[in-house]
Amino acid sequence: MKKIYEQRIRRLLGLCCMFLLTVTPLLAQQAGQITGKIVSEEDSEPIPGVSILVTGTNRGTVTNMDGDFTIQASSGETLTISFIGFQTKVVPVTAGQTVYQIPLVSSIGDLGEVVVVGYGSQRRADITSAVSVINMENIGDVPTTNATRLIQGQAAGVQVRQRSGRPGEEMEITIRGLGSLGAGSQPLFVVDGFPIGTSLGQNLNPADIESITVLKDAASTAIYGARGSNGVILITTKSAKEGQVGIDFVVNQGFANIPDSRRTKMMNGVEFAQFKKDSFEDRIRYFDQREPSLEEVPLEFRFPEQTQHNTDWFQEIMNQNARFSNYNATLTAGKGDIRSLVSVGYINQEGAVLNTNFDRFNVRANLDGKVTEWLSMGWNIAASHSRENYASTDGRDALIGRALWADPRYPVYNEDGSYNSYIGGTNGVFGTANIVQELNEMERTLNTNNILSNGYLEFSFLKDFKFRTSVNATLIGTEQKEYRPSTLAGTGFNQPPPREASLIQRADNVINIAADQLLSYSKVLGNHRIDGLLGYSAQEETFKRLQGNANEFPNDVTRYLNSAIRQVSSSGENSWSLMAYFARANYSFMDRYLFSASMRREGSSRFGANNKWGNFPAFSAGWRISEESFMPQTTWITDLKVRGSYGITGNNAIGNYSSLSNMAISNYVLGGNIANGQRLANFANANLGWEQSEQTDIGLDLAMFDNRLIFTAEYYNRLTNNMLLSVEMPIVSGFGSSLDNVGQVRNRGVELALDYRTRISQVNLRSNLNFTLNRNKVLEIRGDNDEIWAGGFYSVYNVSKAGRPMAMLHGFKMMGIFNTEEEILAWPTQDGAIPGTYKYFDANGDGVISYDQQDMVEIGNPHPDYIINMTIGGDYRKFDFNVLFTGAFNYDVMRNIEATTMNMDGVFNILHSGINRWRSAENPGDGVGATTNTWKWQRESNSRYIYDASHVWLRNVSLGYAIPNNPVIPNARLFVSAENLFLITSYPGSNPEVNQRGGINIGVDDERYPVPRTFTLGATIKF
Amino acid sequence: MKNTKIYSILAGIMLIMSSCGEDFLNKTDPTVLVAEGFYSNEKEIEQAVAGVYGMLRNHFNSEWQFNEYISDNTTLHFNVGNRGNGPALEAIEFWQYNAATPNVANLYNTIYSIMVNINTTLKRLPDSNASDEVKRRAEGEMKMIRAYLYFQLVQHFGDVIIVTEPVTTPSEAFLLERQPVETVYAQIISDLDQAITALPPSHPANQLGRVTKGAALSLMGKVRLTRKEYSQAITALNQVTALNYELLNNYADIFLPANKNHRESIWDIQYQGDNLFGVHSSFIYTFAPRESGGAVINFPGQEGGGWNTPTKDIIEAYEAGDLRKDASLKEGYFDLQGNWVPVPFINKYNHPHSIRGITNDNWPVIRYADVLLMLAEAINEESGPTGDAYNHLNKIRERAGLDPVSGLSKDAFRTAVLNERRLELAFENHRWLDLKRTMTVPELVSFLNAYGLRERADPTTSRGGIPFSNDDFIFEAYQVLFPMPEVQMRINSSLRQNPGY
Repeated sequence: MKKIYEQRIRRLLGLCCMFLLTVTPLLAQQAGQITGKIVSEEDSEPIPGVSILVTGTNRGTVTNMDGDFTIQASSGETLTISFIGFQTKVVPVTAGQTVYQIPLVSSIGDLGEVVVVGYGSQRRADITSAVSVINMENIGDVPTTNATRLIQGQAAGVQVRQRSGRPGEEMEITIRGLGSLGAGSQPLFVVDGFPIGTSLGQNLNPADIESITVLKDAASTAIYGARGSNGVILITTKSAKEGQVGIDFVVNQGFANIPDSRRTKMMNGVEFAQFKKDSFEDRIRYFDQREPSLEEVPLEFRFPEQTQHNTDWFQEIMNQNARFSNYNATLTAGKGDIRSLVSVGYINQEGAVLNTNFDRFNVRANLDGKVTEWLSMGWNIAASHSRENYASTDGRDALIGRALWADPRYPVYNEDGSYNSYIGGTNGVFGTANIVQELNEMERTLNTNNILSNGYLEFSFLKDFKFRTSVNATLIGTEQKEYRPSTLAGTGFNQPPPREASLIQRADNVINIAADQLLSYSKVLGNHRIDGLLGYSAQEETFKRLQGNANEFPNDVTRYLNSAIRQVSSSGENSWSLMAYFARANYSFMDRYLFSASMRREGSSRFGANNKWGNFPAFSAGWRISEESFMPQTTWITDLKVRGSYGITGNNAIGNYSSLSNMAISNYVLGGNIANGQRLANFANANLGWEQSEQTDIGLDLAMFDNRLIFTAEYYNRLTNNMLLSVEMPIVSGFGSSLDNVGQVRNRGVELALDYRTRISQVNLRSNLNFTLNRNKVLEIRGDNDEIWAGGFYSVYNVSKAGRPMAMLHGFKMMGIFNTEEEILAWPTQDGAIPGTYKYFDANGDGVISYDQQDMVEIGNPHPDYIINMTIGGDYRKFDFNVLFTGAFNYDVMRNIEATTMNMDGVFNILHSGINRWRSAENPGDGVGATTNTWKWQRESNSRYIYDASHVWLRNVSLGYAIPNNPVIPNARLFVSAENLFLITSYPGSNPEVNQRGGINIGVDDERYPVPRTFTLGATIKF
Repeated sequence: MKNTKIYSILAGIMLIMSSCGEDFLNKTDPTVLVAEGFYSNEKEIEQAVAGVYGMLRNHFNSEWQFNEYISDNTTLHFNVGNRGNGPALEAIEFWQYNAATPNVANLYNTIYSIMVNINTTLKRLPDSNASDEVKRRAEGEMKMIRAYLYFQLVQHFGDVIIVTEPVTTPSEAFLLERQPVETVYAQIISDLDQAITALPPSHPANQLGRVTKGAALSLMGKVRLTRKEYSQAITALNQVTALNYELLNNYADIFLPANKNHRESIWDIQYQGDNLFGVHSSFIYTFAPRESGGAVINFPGQEGGGWNTPTKDIIEAYEAGDLRKDASLKEGYFDLQGNWVPVPFINKYNHPHSIRGITNDNWPVIRYADVLLMLAEAINEESGPTGDAYNHLNKIRERAGLDPVSGLSKDAFRTAVLNERRLELAFENHRWLDLKRTMTVPELVSFLNAYGLRERADPTTSRGGIPFSNDDFIFEAYQVLFPMPEVQMRINSSLRQNPGY
């Protein structure tokens, strides 16, 4: 029974393609009936769902729950027996034998297993580069809309961050550290051989995915040339396997919410009134040196205990029972020359924030097979339609931030049930639109239509040659609409309604077409195994936009552009293209000595006339020591391989046309008429070229105890040179910056992955542990200009400078709180400081803390020291489980929202802990809350808002139960799953992975859409 | 047979591939023009010139910060809640600016971003096929505007980098050094000399808005006056009086959008409202009181920025009966509930307009009243308060409904002209440079600190209970020049900073 439940998990996830067949009696003719049982060689437990095909015919069947099968076959024919996770076996039918007991050998970690790599596939044993194959078995019953979630926690060196809880959101993936200061650091996604770009988007149905391979080192990614330097993620969708026919359904239902532990506790109405009252009185005490009279406190704060409302705005905008539902049906027909798989899916995810949701319809048809003996073909087409109701949730002045700082003394609704449209705005407290009303009344929709299609023809000729020609295309159409009705207050501070209604409508279209021509050669000559590949690829993407903006609507009912009094329209278009020639050769001798070399020559429209083409070579070699005769034939070492690789890859993730100097419109008025004017928009750089990464990788693969334990270790050193960087230049040139190839960043690190599986009595256990350690360092930027400051004085600066990791957090170092005037006088001059303000470090030692960047120092490191992920799974009889932990350790996040929620000048509601602020020298508080008497010296970028964001998430727990065989439903499994179940961290925000601003503005939390916890109950049913 | 078929298909595919050539990789932005090849014909030259004028709006949209708001004429309506502008705009008002003050960098950056367009146009002009007439006029216009911008730079920053040719590679820009004030003035005067020669005294009605000979002469007068070269100033300015300019009868008419480019106007920056062409002004949206909620700007709920607020100091400086006061400023407004709110605001650019945020007000750079007052000032410096000097001054006073002045000493006359300039040209970006021109540095320091003390003691607008910082309104001698922006210093270690910063 051992493997059964694991295999069911696989099936359920849609990550492999096994089917129970409603056995159709097939062509009985002259053949005799034979019966048999398929068992696992390891423990002799029967295996259900195994596909059995009479070789060369379309007679096939699958085993039932007890591993039994019946099939028509005659002597002289052979049976091909295949099942994922096991080595395929061919058994001859012999005369007279009608009952067969056939053991299958596990292929987990099997070296004969074929792994998808760039422009092809390779036997795992032959791989000489750093490639992680995601083990689909380890993922569990994850309730997710986005396929990037499947990669989370599964591979060493691959950091997958869920930066917010926005429904449908794609996660952020970084492979082997941030490689670029100027261009992007996102990997390239390749779906069924089609390089679709550095974003997977929101439209791929996770249930359609069969396998995911992550290419990490240059030897594996250089074949993708100018897009390979940040790693490549290869996704292969499911296709029908020979002989399999069936249909399966997956239904998953649940709900999501934000647990109390991930909420920020703010003051309630009474506490806020008391805080305001105290602050009015404290000012009089400090500035006028006297006791205030009650009349000096504005009436609304004078009697805090009489405050009528205690609105918890954050609570008010929660959708505590956010529904999640997912339905998938997959029909597989694997008989005949052309096999097909058709899947239909619908997923609907409500957000944990009011009136936000994402839903999507998916259909897919994957066809492949033989047309003639020498020609085979394949065609995949996937279409989807997604709809999102979104909200502006990121940043202090967006809905979540405002839900923290909005005045809690006001109710959501007036007594007559209408919205209380304008919150606060009296006695210095900032006013804001009613957040609940804005969520409900503001119309924000984003609809996407996506078609992704791949087709190929493959010719076999001269025995060992294949020529494959393929065309890939994706069409993405999005429609976005934002209507802000007149009933809402303005977006700035203190703008009560009614306001002018406004509308933005936008239609974008992306067409991306690629064509590949591949000539491959494969030959085994005795001890020599040779593979060769020659290829040519061309790709072009065009983006078009049509947009209308309108203002002043006579009513809020007709929300279209032509209803408005003022309308402005605009349109745009841009495109890029690339062309590449590439070649690869693999050679292995005696399966021991492995060599591989590849080369890509690529041209891109994005680069300057003088540097359009780049060369990307890579080499790798491996030595399977375990195959050597001098190695003792021990049972505990199954396989041992050392390998090394070196290669050059590129990055072209800069905007289009960046090398050219363009004109921009700059009109004037002459004689009362518009005079068309043009001005220079940017600096030209005809030399602009590739950003290059040179990467060396040394790896060790070790399999022990019959592949029960598989260990992989990697060391890598990646140097990114000639970074595509917007370099500041003296403004006397007319421009503040220009794109150039400068600087050098190094990422080096160690990756360890350990897979272990065992059986204890009737319990099967498996686990995966992966460890990532990456060290990032800027080696050089540009002589005169080797610091890049990004960010702001009142938030935080991310500073990149030579000798330090990229994007280190910079600000004043907070040394405490001034208690007395004497302390201020004794300290270097901080103009405007009064008792109760922060005491900053005089970094340059000039006796003055100047109100600029001069005294700012490094206050935090946003790069984790190490990342550890762990999966534990297993089964016992009819039960199975899977658990995923992800963790990142020793890194800092600037909780920038606290510059607002701990802003003591009384314009915002503040953290509940603000009760313990500084009041006087006798009552100095908790040492972090400043005085309410002034605004200065507390909200500048400073170390006070830096927190250690080390954390462990219990990402997912899935439990399954296989329903015992019954005539109605032959094969069914029930499961429950909990996603983002709990978070262990001392970080005070809701999500330590927030990384709000992205790019090189990392490690900043301005408050975003919180990450919910999701519970689901589901079933898979197969016929 | 089989192979033949395959090979013919493969050959066909190869053929398709080879048809996809190098052109496939040549892409330009279809939505904009490419700079290479531009500036070749007359139409493009005219567009490049108009483009420079268009960019001037960027400078004039914020020039008030450095020439008016920094002075004793205007202040701000302190925003207790929003501290976001503390190190930016407030730093200028309170004389707390330093190298990191973003608005100072904006002044510097904007001027050089216009300069590259001027220099590129001038460089490409000779090789274009524009007519000689257009070439001549365009050269005059570019040099006049370049002179104006360098004149702003030299007065605000002292020694500055002079660029008169477009920089072609980033590394060239690192080699340029600050030039002495004298050299900068030599460049300005040389440009102005050529502009005076090249520019016509007037343009056809459909070309109004371009700079003229009169504008170049007036600017030359101001440059000479600033350099205390009084006789040359008088020579230049007297040539302006010989042109066809005159004072309008009614002071308020000067600023009426319906009355643009009138006889008193020598150079206005052109804006156009009541449409969505993107060439509008919106000064009143910056200058109107912050909490005026539709009471000043006539759109529901519309508030102003609360910047460039007339000080008590200037309000009190108006003599009784001065007709200019009501046109220039309002001492407060009635809110929508009918309550008087005593927050003053500039009224010169406050005119009805049909679209929210889009006003039709031009910005006056040089007008004839300025020329007359400069003449009065120059004559007085050269030969004392002569009849001509009184004549020019009293013409201005007469229009303002004030009695003529007479019998003043040279010093008193100088003060009278300075005060007259303050009120006549109030909120037109003259005050700061007038103070710097007419006072020595120690005089300016004590003058400003005296004003600062008054403003600290009795602020024009409420500060919501927030006290001044200790360094607010403390003016030190080194602050007569702005610092080189921090970014420029950081990226170019050979750039010199002004003393004190």
